[in-house]
Amino acid sequence: MAVPKLEQLSKSVVQGPSLATGAIPTKDWMDIPVHFHEGNYAYPAKKEKVEYLNSQKGLFFPNAREWSPEDDDWKLPENWKEIILNGLKERLDKFRSLKIFMDCCVRCGACADKCHFFLGTGDPKNMPVLRAELLRSVYRNDFTLAGKILGRMAGAREMTVGVLKEWFMYSYQCTECRRCSVFCPYGIDTAEVTMMLRELLHLVGVGINWILEPASNSNRTGNHMGLQPHTFKDNVDFLTDDIENLTGIRITPTFNRKGAEVLFITPSADVFAEPGLYTAMGYLLLFEAIGLDYTWSTYASEGGNFGLFTNNETMKKLNAKMYAEAKRLGVKWILGGECGHMWRVLHQYMDTMNGPADFLEIPKSPITGTVFDNAASTKMVHISEFTADLIKNGKLKLDKSRNSHVKATFHDSCNTSRAMGLLDEPRYILDHVVDWVEMPENTIREQTFCCGSGTGLNTDEIMELRMRSGLPRANAVKYVHEKHDVNMLSCVCAIDRATLTSLMNYWNPDVRVCGVTELVGNALVLEGETRGELDDGLRTML
Amino acid sequence: MDLAEAFRNYKAKIVDRWVDYTLSTYQSSSFFKKEGDVFANPVGGTIREALKKLFVLLSRGATTEEMIAPLEQIMKIRSIQEFSPSQAVAPLNAVKHITREILAADKERCHLVADLYDFEFAVDLAVLAAFDIYMQCRERLYQTRIREIKTGSHILTDSACPSASLKNKIVQESIPKVESI
Repeated sequence: MAVPKLEQLSKSVVQGPSLATGAIPTKDWMDIPVHFHEGNYAYPAKKEKVEYLNSQKGLFFPNAREWSPEDDDWKLPENWKEIILNGLKERLDKFRSLKIFMDCCVRCGACADKCHFFLGTGDPKNMPVLRAELLRSVYRNDFTLAGKILGRMAGAREMTVGVLKEWFMYSYQCTECRRCSVFCPYGIDTAEVTMMLRELLHLVGVGINWILEPASNSNRTGNHMGLQPHTFKDNVDFLTDDIENLTGIRITPTFNRKGAEVLFITPSADVFAEPGLYTAMGYLLLFEAIGLDYTWSTYASEGGNFGLFTNNETMKKLNAKMYAEAKRLGVKWILGGECGHMWRVLHQYMDTMNGPADFLEIPKSPITGTVFDNAASTKMVHISEFTADLIKNGKLKLDKSRNSHVKATFHDSCNTSRAMGLLDEPRYILDHVVDWVEMPENTIREQTFCCGSGTGLNTDEIMELRMRSGLPRANAVKYVHEKHDVNMLSCVCAIDRATLTSLMNYWNPDVRVCGVTELVGNALVLEGETRGELDDGLRTML
Repeated sequence: MDLAEAFRNYKAKIVDRWVDYTLSTYQSSSFFKKEGDVFANPVGGTIREALKKLFVLLSRGATTEEMIAPLEQIMKIRSIQEFSPSQAVAPLNAVKHITREILAADKERCHLVADLYDFEFAVDLAVLAAFDIYMQCRERLYQTRIREIKTGSHILTDSACPSASLKNKIVQESIPKVESI
């Protein structure tokens, strides 16, 4: 009697287009079409943004139009298929890595359960191996002998509008975090497969606004927010007012100053949005404490590079801007703030695009004399490397008790940990400025879980999706919150500071988010300060 | 043998089947069922942990307040996944049927099926509480979205510059209002 009721219960909950099938899928993955509905896709790029980008030298963003993923007709160019296949051919010839990634996967499945999107959704097409298979199947069909002869038996399929729609769905359910690559025995960088999918989609005018608008702003004014020079300067000045109110120290930073020793570049979100603002206050206090000869730039006013999420041409152009400004100002080297993908572009792509930056000097800390040989080619040093070196050489006076309101943990940002190996420097800094604990081993360092909203997916219309993909990270934070009373999630990435704030608001509302340099700013003891009791550090409201 | 003892004896079996049933609602569920590390498998691990706690509470007729913590663990996850509200909550109900089926299959204990009224009533209360929690989670999701919008990034990226807005305002004001025609 009971059994039929249980079956009935299952049936009553499996209607409608849902993941809740309650059964093993009966169809092959190739036969399950994607279904777009409000909430499961990011809004397409605005027509005028695509037109603007397409009008820029060196950039190619055709087919600007109004369209919606929910429509049957995506208003693709008539010869869209030819464009895609030619685009794929061109990239297979140009990027040897892509050719290898297409050929060498043995579908062992080591990556399958490592993706935060898969772990949060249970959708098999979010297994990195299957996400790559979306492209690989088309590659087999048109570029391999086995695929041409055996077709579907060899895992090949024809490029159709349905396949294109599937590419759009799943290349924007990947944050290019590269956690899967850590586990791949062949070293396949699945993030680069996603990058190729996105590049190909842009060839036929399929892209999202949350990426193309910041990219076009960055191309136009130098930063994602589209802040013009005077606004950028005003924002930094507001921060110096706040610092004076809190500490009694008046800081007068310079902008676009020729002849400064160091150019400082950080994500623009640090100078205008909470909680990045407090990290920027930390930078200002740190540089004041050591008397660094540096300048901000109102043109290279963005560390982030949304070109990485778009195509290699845009990435190259946005990266070049920082170096053009360093050349114009005649600085010796560049100091980079707490950013994620700026560092990935720097460490993994810049040298073959714009590097080496021969007109700059190998960075040498003017305070400690340390030469940063690791940055010999890019001439750009990470703020955490720089700060850790200052602490190691006893150049900073730090009072850890000023962070006694904080019990921190540390989130390794995907790009800084996996793409540049920045693992110990932030931890060394934290040891000296705050009481903190690690999250579980399989969620940190190289194995860190993504915030869930990187690569331009930090847009509010897909909030549910972001909460799913951020679950593995939030779950580890929940553990240290419950076990060790952790109330602050520190990180070294501006996108993290924005996305983890929303992630914590949903999953762990008692945990706030900060940059490591904010905690440094809290703990710094400056000469001449008239600082009272700041119960909440630089966030104290006076 | 009384019902309490039957619950103790069959706890592991009932919970296993309940977890299995709940995780089967995910399209690719074998990993969710298999991996025991809650950090490597947050959905599977959390649901297993919460259902285990919940079964103990249900079998001793605990109050709704006591059930909120494990229910929240489950609903917080299912309320943001691609489930309709009924789909999100329905697996909780399954424990009634699973328990009946397991007891009925045991010749010595099948008579206890008649005593399940209190247990099933506790499940009903849990399901009702789960609906409340589901809605609270949705509310929190929307609040999170609003908070993010209010941080201001969209103001700078999505709105026209002040002078353009002013120009629009002048144009708007120059159009006669319906009442005045």
